[in-house]
Amino acid sequence: MSRRVLTVDDDPDITMFVKTVLEENGYTPLVARNGEAGLSMARDESPDLIILDVLMPKQSGIRMYRELKSDESLKNIPVIILSGIAKRTFLRSQEALTEFGDQPIPEPDVYMEKPVEPLELAETVKGLIG
Amino acid sequence: MKDKKLLFVTQFEELWFDALQSLMDLRKAGFNHAVFLHVIGRDKVAMHRGKGYLKDEEVKLREMANVRFIDWAESLFEQGMEVGAYIVVGNPLPKIISTAAEEKVDLIVTGRHKRGTFEELYGGSETLEILERTSTPVLVYKYMLPSGKVNERPFERPLLTMDWSPASEKAVEYLLSFKGVLKKVIAVHVIGEKEFKSPSAMEIQSLRKENKQKLEEVCSRFEKEGIEAESHLYVGSTFEQIEKAASEREATMIVAGTTGKSPLKEMLLGSVATKLTKHSVLPSLLVPASVTL
Repeated sequence: MSRRVLTVDDDPDITMFVKTVLEENGYTPLVARNGEAGLSMARDESPDLIILDVLMPKQSGIRMYRELKSDESLKNIPVIILSGIAKRTFLRSQEALTEFGDQPIPEPDVYMEKPVEPLELAETVKGLIG
Repeated sequence: MKDKKLLFVTQFEELWFDALQSLMDLRKAGFNHAVFLHVIGRDKVAMHRGKGYLKDEEVKLREMANVRFIDWAESLFEQGMEVGAYIVVGNPLPKIISTAAEEKVDLIVTGRHKRGTFEELYGGSETLEILERTSTPVLVYKYMLPSGKVNERPFERPLLTMDWSPASEKAVEYLLSFKGVLKKVIAVHVIGEKEFKSPSAMEIQSLRKENKQKLEEVCSRFEKEGIEAESHLYVGSTFEQIEKAASEREATMIVAGTTGKSPLKEMLLGSVATKLTKHSVLPSLLVPASVTL
């Protein structure tokens, strides 16, 4: 059975792009449009990898990532952050949330700033889940 | 405590990042989640005779808004805030209402938009329409003071207008939920000239005493929460006296309850909410009677 990759992004152009790259490389894509729906899908589907945007409606990738890494059943799923938001901002926001009393969480496996080349994305996915 | 959400509606004409930044004090009242909304008007991308739908123009306008929102979001994320964004094409009013419902926001922040002649006639009606169709309070945010400086702490000295309606009672309750941000509440009631029906000084003094007592009761509710409060009675035309009181008492914002009547009725009745939205130089926080607290 092919490996399943959940993409969480509110931009339909991006989800279409990622979906195409994944399918062409033999993966099964799953799609959610915001952090809330993404978290729910991650719990229901237990994907092998999550590709996560940051700035989204309802729940951002920053909060969703934190919830993923705080959940025993989800914390070992590798995560690629694919976003227009700078990596430095992502890390600082996590530090700020930790300062406000949340638990420290590990950095994402890979951080990619948009836009990304299809080959680069495919190789990154392959490097993480084969 | 659950994060409260504010919906920040901008056309990049009237509200910019400094306006958003000046609302960050609201984090002390639990507002840790900002949702940005930019509506690209249909007239910008459609309804051009012979040209059809301008898809390239839509992409350009979306990306321009996206670049701005990413920059704003980065600043807020780094402060530990939660941020979301919507960039949509359509008519602003239904998009504001549907986004507020979708995100279950606790406060809608809008600016005063530039208007055409027809809209000017119905000035403020967009805000009133939001208030009629949702139960979410609306802050019409005029964040530049007449001096040209940014109103850095709009919630510091709100002037609370009391007309003893259920809506103004809701405005009291809603304002109490901003404990931590409020420094001093200035509670004001305006006695209209029509209320001086009797020429009897005794009756007029009773009217004054009764309204002053009610204002003092409002003040004591704030004081119980550790918020300073003072009460003032004014006499005359409601909107003019509210503006006068706001100026004399150095208020940073005006708070009023709204009835939820249709914008047309509000306009015909010359409501305070309409006038505040249209004419006041200060931000106006309008609280519908239907707000759920």
